[in-house]
Amino acid sequence: MDIDGFLRDPQSRRRFFQRSGVIAGAAGGPAVLLVACGDSDATPNVLTGPDESDQADVEILNGALDLELQAVAAYKAGAARLRGSMLEFAKTLLEQEQEHADALSAAIRDAGGRPNRAKSSYDFPGLRDQTDVLRFAVTLENTAIAAYIDALPKLSQGELRATAAGIITNEAEHLAVLLDALGSDPAPSAFVTGKAS
Amino acid sequence: MRQRIASAHGDAQTTDIAASERDRRELLRDGFALGSAALAASSIPLWLSARDAFAAQDSGDAEILQNAINLEQVAVTAYDMALSGGLLSPAALRVARRFRDHEQQHADALTTALTDLGGTPPAPPKGSADVEKIADGLGDAKTQADVVNVLIELEMAGVAAYHDAQAKLVETRLLQTAASIMASEGQHLVVLRRLVGANPVPKAFETGAI
Repeated sequence: MDIDGFLRDPQSRRRFFQRSGVIAGAAGGPAVLLVACGDSDATPNVLTGPDESDQADVEILNGALDLELQAVAAYKAGAARLRGSMLEFAKTLLEQEQEHADALSAAIRDAGGRPNRAKSSYDFPGLRDQTDVLRFAVTLENTAIAAYIDALPKLSQGELRATAAGIITNEAEHLAVLLDALGSDPAPSAFVTGKAS
Repeated sequence: MRQRIASAHGDAQTTDIAASERDRRELLRDGFALGSAALAASSIPLWLSARDAFAAQDSGDAEILQNAINLEQVAVTAYDMALSGGLLSPAALRVARRFRDHEQQHADALTTALTDLGGTPPAPPKGSADVEKIADGLGDAKTQADVVNVLIELEMAGVAAYHDAQAKLVETRLLQTAASIMASEGQHLVVLRRLVGANPVPKAFETGAI
């Protein structure tokens, strides 16, 4: 699939969420954010014991880890098409995604779980030039932000939520630099939801 | 949970801030194995009182929202002052106008959420201690970079406050809205840092810690 097809095809985006174990809620633009965000069943689980909430956290964190590992692989694959300052920047992004992955893996182990591994290969669209790479990276960062925002309220520990929010904000910063490099507005919306605006 | 410094009113001491940051970092590291970023010697953030109140322990959602609205209103005022200060280039003025609009949108969305909870929106912060501090900070500014650095500090305080609020907020949509606002402040930081030639994305975890 080419990159335009990938960007247009909602199924591709959806498969990301399913692969990550984090199914996106109903789509909604930023204008209706307060109404559209989140499912009613997504409140923190206070009635179950620590084992169950740990298990739920592990599942959510592994979903996020899948996305981070995929992003690391994507930046590695895209690096060959990048030059100069964009190449340097991509290295920074790659390192930061790897830091997220490491932190998620540690948190999963702390909760008694086993961190998912990177896949041996990923089904990325063809990346012919720098613009292709940047546009694909925008898609990945948006996908990650949307998945994290969906997952955030389901995490049982406040400190885990805070760290996830720190990652979301970092991904939003990546997005701003990528959009700027594409000649787009780096901060197009007052609410960064990872959903198409 | 370990003791957290939470002085809801007035300025905390510098040592308290450093201790609070260290405490928070230790908590995170315990549960989440953060990298070993060194804690810089802490300067007193301009917006400390707003941030502290925002992050205070035992705050309910409504109280956190009220403080968040206050912080956003202070941010709108700060951008207004920056816009009228005469030190920004045309390009920086365009940025400041857009970000002012974003902060207003944050305040409006939070006000709607607070009203939905049956809470009362706070009075405009005109003349408050935070606004006075901003006026002082911007009053001392001699260059565009000085102004932008004050705005960076403001945005960092916002990020830190929303970061802390993640552990305190209960309601699902509020958690998500707070995160999406926090991420917006992060995007502001990218643009502002670039205006002063700083690394736009210095850390993998943007928590607002200095």
